[in-house]
Amino acid sequence: MEKLTVICVDDQPEVLNAVARDIGPLASHCEIEECQSAQECLELLDELDAEGTPIALIISDHVMPDKNGVQMLTEIADDHRFKTTRLFLLTGLATHQDTIMAINKAGIDRYFEKAWDPDELLDECRRALTRYVFATGLDYLEYQPVLDAETTYKLISSS
Amino acid sequence: MTIKKALRYLLAFGLPILILFLPLSAFGIDGMTIQEQRVVAIFVMAALCWVLEPIPIYTTSVLVIVLELLMLSDKGLLWFRQDAGAAGFGQLLNHKDIMATFASPIIMLFLGGFFLAMAATKYRLDVNLARVLLKPFGDKPANVMLGLMVITAIFSMFMSNTATTAMMLAILVPVLRLFPVDDRGKAGFALSIPVAANIGGTGTPIGTPPNAIALKYFEAQNHTIGFAEWMVFGVPFVVVMLFIAWLLLRFFFPSSKSEMNLEIKGRFMKSPKAILVYVTFIVTLLLWLTSGFHGMNSSTVALIPVAVFSVTQIIGKEDLKQISWDVLWLVAGGFALGLAISETGLAVHAVDSMNLQAVNPAIILVGAALLSITMANFMSHTATANLLMPIAAAIAVSLEGLAMYGGAMTILLCVTFAASLGMSLPISTPPNALAHAAGHTKTSDMAKIGILVGFIGIILSFVRIYLMGQSGFL
Repeated sequence: MEKLTVICVDDQPEVLNAVARDIGPLASHCEIEECQSAQECLELLDELDAEGTPIALIISDHVMPDKNGVQMLTEIADDHRFKTTRLFLLTGLATHQDTIMAINKAGIDRYFEKAWDPDELLDECRRALTRYVFATGLDYLEYQPVLDAETTYKLISSS
Repeated sequence: MTIKKALRYLLAFGLPILILFLPLSAFGIDGMTIQEQRVVAIFVMAALCWVLEPIPIYTTSVLVIVLELLMLSDKGLLWFRQDAGAAGFGQLLNHKDIMATFASPIIMLFLGGFFLAMAATKYRLDVNLARVLLKPFGDKPANVMLGLMVITAIFSMFMSNTATTAMMLAILVPVLRLFPVDDRGKAGFALSIPVAANIGGTGTPIGTPPNAIALKYFEAQNHTIGFAEWMVFGVPFVVVMLFIAWLLLRFFFPSSKSEMNLEIKGRFMKSPKAILVYVTFIVTLLLWLTSGFHGMNSSTVALIPVAVFSVTQIIGKEDLKQISWDVLWLVAGGFALGLAISETGLAVHAVDSMNLQAVNPAIILVGAALLSITMANFMSHTATANLLMPIAAAIAVSLEGLAMYGGAMTILLCVTFAASLGMSLPISTPPNALAHAAGHTKTSDMAKIGILVGFIGIILSFVRIYLMGQSGFL
């Protein structure tokens, strides 16, 4: 089995650690990567993609120096290479306009406010991974332990 | 259901039923049998269904196969075969032969092509090649257009014309948005992709389904054209046609832009699986081109990537569901139709009674090509080939006069190439529809280019066929 990749992006190391800790239970089937800036994340994406790594989910903060989270997520959403990658925004400081952009342009899947509920974040990650696995055509049986059962049933019965 | 739709159903299924109940003498064909009458009914149904499309075109093919099994085969419905052996009943078809059309070697050749294309897309070989190949063409719009056309044509030789067009338009259309509102060049660019895809499809046996149908009929006449032999003539034809189309597009749709930049992101994947995809692609292509050396024909070679990609899980079972079974079935239905027409003896009987010996073969050739391109403009290229090829094959064997134009296979190739050149309307082919959907081309623009390219293409295809005949390929 090839591990799925989940990338967390935040300029504050303590937030990154907290997110990585909360989604830790996914580590059996996922490689969890941490990036401290949008640029770092985009470079990592380019590299991982060239290695053929399945990039399942990106959880990004919004307010970061240089490129902000919504800009980065919009770029990723427009990139044909990552059309099945799921995108989460996790922020305390997005304006109304940013949020509209995040939904309309970046098409984010979920929006979390800081401070988030760890269980909810983990649940939503499972759902997102499930959707990614089906959209990409991977074998869901290999990833079952980190997938969401109900979403799996729905996606099998609708395909 | 609207009245128009109901009428289409009534015509497509009513007329064939009527034909089933006509007396044999009504057909004016000497020696016609009951079995042949049923074939006529099925053929008429297929023709009407493919033209009027009351049901999706691939379902017509499935229906053809099933109806043949029920009505014509040795394991069909008892009531249809209780008179078998009686005078004037005709020949029952072997049910195995009909079912075998689903897995004919040509279908396997296409399946192999699908696997290659699918793996190339999955590991982004297509987009990355496009990026690299486009670079040398610089940033002058005219040169970029030529680059786009060359790349589209090369890809459509191995991938489906539709998939190639979609990929190239995805790269091109965002850039067209930056053109001035009234720039005619936009229409030229949008048209360049489907035109190149349609032309490119004629370059290899697996480029487009009509080519497969042609191969099948060659095979039936104990006459094979290998992958390399097809390409020796196909590629120069594509090159010349592309160049002409490019000149036409530049002439009709000049652009005021002095430069343009197509940005394609990404780099070549270098995981072991991706490298295996590149290697398999190259090896398969080489094996296709060197049939004479190793003895495997193109269908056998085509199954090698199927095995490699399955075993290595480059194409997994979820990907397997994405295979265009509809295209394979559409072609299989055409094979079944051809099988029934020739095996029941209808082909020979019908052509004999048409008295074609009196007609100049050149007129038949030109007529067949014109009929094919006209039909292909209004309906599916594959369905056109499915309908015309069995008739053309029957004519090909009975018409001795064709020998002076390069032999009996000439007419089959005429029909095949003409079928690929039908591209003057948005409904002509899926690539045309995709390009039209971008909104930069008027139907009249497409018609202008489509008709000109089609016309020139027909003339050049005659030249190509003549040269093939002269060098002993036919």
